Amino acid sequence: MVEMKAGERIYRYAVATRLSHWLWVIAFAAMVSSGLQIFNAAPFLDASDTTSPAHRVFEIHTTGDETAIPGWLTIPSYRDLADGRRWHLFFAWVMIICGATWVASSAIKGNLRDMVLRPSDLPKLWPMQAYYFKLRKEPPPHGVYNPLQKAAYTTVLFVLAPLIVLTGLALSPGIDAIAHPLTWIFGGRQFARLWHFVAMLLLIGFFLVHTFQVLTQGFFNQMNAMITGWYRLGKNDEVGP
Amino acid sequence: MKRRLFVATSISSALAACSPIGTALNDNAAFHNLLGSTQALNHALIGTHGLAKEYQERDISPDFPIDSLPTPDDANYAGLVRDGFRDYKLVVDGAVKRRGVFPIAMLERLCNETQITRHDCVEGWSVIAKWSGVRLSTILDLVEPRADARYVVFHCMDKDDQGTPYYESLDLHQARHPQTILAMRMNDSPISPDHGAPVRLKVPTQLGYKSAKWIGRIEVVGSFANLYSGGGGYWEDQGYEWYAGI
Repeated sequence: MVEMKAGERIYRYAVATRLSHWLWVIAFAAMVSSGLQIFNAAPFLDASDTTSPAHRVFEIHTTGDETAIPGWLTIPSYRDLADGRRWHLFFAWVMIICGATWVASSAIKGNLRDMVLRPSDLPKLWPMQAYYFKLRKEPPPHGVYNPLQKAAYTTVLFVLAPLIVLTGLALSPGIDAIAHPLTWIFGGRQFARLWHFVAMLLLIGFFLVHTFQVLTQGFFNQMNAMITGWYRLGKNDEVGP
Repeated sequence: MKRRLFVATSISSALAACSPIGTALNDNAAFHNLLGSTQALNHALIGTHGLAKEYQERDISPDFPIDSLPTPDDANYAGLVRDGFRDYKLVVDGAVKRRGVFPIAMLERLCNETQITRHDCVEGWSVIAKWSGVRLSTILDLVEPRADARYVVFHCMDKDDQGTPYYESLDLHQARHPQTILAMRMNDSPISPDHGAPVRLKVPTQLGYKSAKWIGRIEVVGSFANLYSGGGGYWEDQGYEWYAGI
């Protein structure tokens, strides 16, 4: 391996990775806002196949014309299920295409290899957390991404992303008619709706932590890397998995 | 502290910008059309050939919401209800070789499908009910659509508060689907007026708004572009997808 020094610049992200990353951000915002618009048409979640107050897990009570999710969080900002669906069904495709492009280009460039949690990372998870809790002076030795970051990326890529896509598809009566097991494995249509919502909350959680990390861990260097592709190595950066 | 404020401000302003930007784009006609462009793709990929899951008697939901335009209350419908729909006749006309007039007793004799299927509303809720009726394909075989026929339009007896009548449409493939029926019985009883008596459509492979209630007349057409606002259905004219399989 070539020895890399702090201050040196490396070409970290391929152009397809960067483009699909930013387009994905737009698609994610559109999906969440339009999804909340759709949720407003039936602002409850049941752990069952059919709608059942006995299996209700979550509900937002409203009165009169008031919407469950306020307009400043939805697209459009007023109640409009038809247009909410229009946005959702369009950006679902943008998201799928961006996601696939991002995974493919990250795999080719090698970024993906650095992000996947491996069995050897498992013993380092607690030491890394202990470092964040200030119970340890030094983080355990790791590659480009620390074990906790790898755990987060792996969960998002291999659990949450497939989950939100499959639970979304499971809501479609047309897809249910050609693939009964898909709706069934999630516990039925309303249950799939609940999983879809939970997956959204967890992805928002990832987005918040991810944004926090970028804003606090060398904001300009990170932003520059995801815009131009070039990343300046810091003194703690290591190259390789 | 400053850094936290920076983080909080950045995230919340980015979030707060989504809705107004999205709403402004939504008002742009070109962008609005672009958003609708995936409908044809979804229709081509998912289609309407699949068979909806059929359930057991024990799965039938205790309540079936009445979530549609108001039950018709005009003199004609009131008269039909009073006489137990004895004089109801379903007219099937348009691009057909033989115009059909089906008295209710004849429709009952033609009954050839019973299904326990889930009704998925576009709003998000679902209920299971048992439906019995005549397959729409049976009716189409009797009237024989002409070569120029493309769609089957359902003219309904219910109207919104502006007086606009409800209508729906299916293409011939969807209309001939074995589970697409003109239902007359719901959960082993004649359909009640609130659920679309005497005849309603049931299309279990698509969202609930396709399953039109209170059918007055069926018209076979080559195109629905000249009907009402041209969307092919009451809700379609208000922006909902004509292909309601997703």
